[in-house]
Amino acid sequence: MNRSNAVSRLTWAGIAFVGTLLPISSFADDQDVRDYRSDVMKAMGEQFAALNQITKGKAPAGDVATQAEVLSITAGMAKIAFTPKVLGGEAKPEVWDKWDDFSKRLDEMVAAAADLAKTAKQGGVAAVTPKLSGLSCKGCHDDYRVQKK
Amino acid sequence: MVRVSKAVALGVMILLPMVGHTDDKDVVEYRQHIMKSLEQQTAALGQILSGVGPAENTLAHMQTLALTASIALKSFEAKVPGGAAKPEVWKDWADFSKRMKDFADKSAEMAKIGREQGVDQAAMKVIEALPCKGCHDVYRDEKKI
Repeated sequence: MNRSNAVSRLTWAGIAFVGTLLPISSFADDQDVRDYRSDVMKAMGEQFAALNQITKGKAPAGDVATQAEVLSITAGMAKIAFTPKVLGGEAKPEVWDKWDDFSKRLDEMVAAAADLAKTAKQGGVAAVTPKLSGLSCKGCHDDYRVQKK
Repeated sequence: MVRVSKAVALGVMILLPMVGHTDDKDVVEYRQHIMKSLEQQTAALGQILSGVGPAENTLAHMQTLALTASIALKSFEAKVPGGAAKPEVWKDWADFSKRMKDFADKSAEMAKIGREQGVDQAAMKVIEALPCKGCHDVYRDEKKI
């Protein structure tokens, strides 16, 4: 399902909800699984990049707590997105071959993001800057993401 | 030696205010990060509400959308054309900012309902809360996406 279809489906979903309750947790097919996890990971990429700009003084410091909270919430959704074993997209097969390690790293990321959000609320940009590197995506991407050509 | 020291000190004083300086490219990049984050979250929520995504993430997406919407307008306040934003954003600022405030208010209401009454109730607000297309038709250059 491409993005325009996804947004279009949102419209239909809203209409459908007048008479129906939330669908049971499920992915319809493999492409839906890949699309969903891609949406979650790309959202995180944008959120991390925004935070990075803030810590470099290139974006409003006043946004730091909001951006950190958004990143923390999104990080908490990532594991569910990878739970169905559906190969493809930018995920290497190692994600599921080494699920214990992969899921442990995701858990660590979630904890680090939660800590970052708490820090941002309490200490602002100055406190967030040294902790942002603890959320380094690269370590996991090196092992589990297909490198872009 | 004293002159060199003074020159260095003067140079540092001149350069210091530039650290953290936000230039036009930064402004465009930052608002793109915000808008793309919104787009990804909207697409993910759309999948869930269509029954092809994990329902347990519904409220989380509603919350991230509301939070991100709350800072979106600010990212357009600097009048810096570029990216996919049409010049009409600043030409018709009163209309644009009203729409963005409505978006922030209604997405916040959706998330609040989700927290307090459950996501089934909140889902009924989703179309009202995420009027992306109406704004994009007027203020986004589709060729620059």
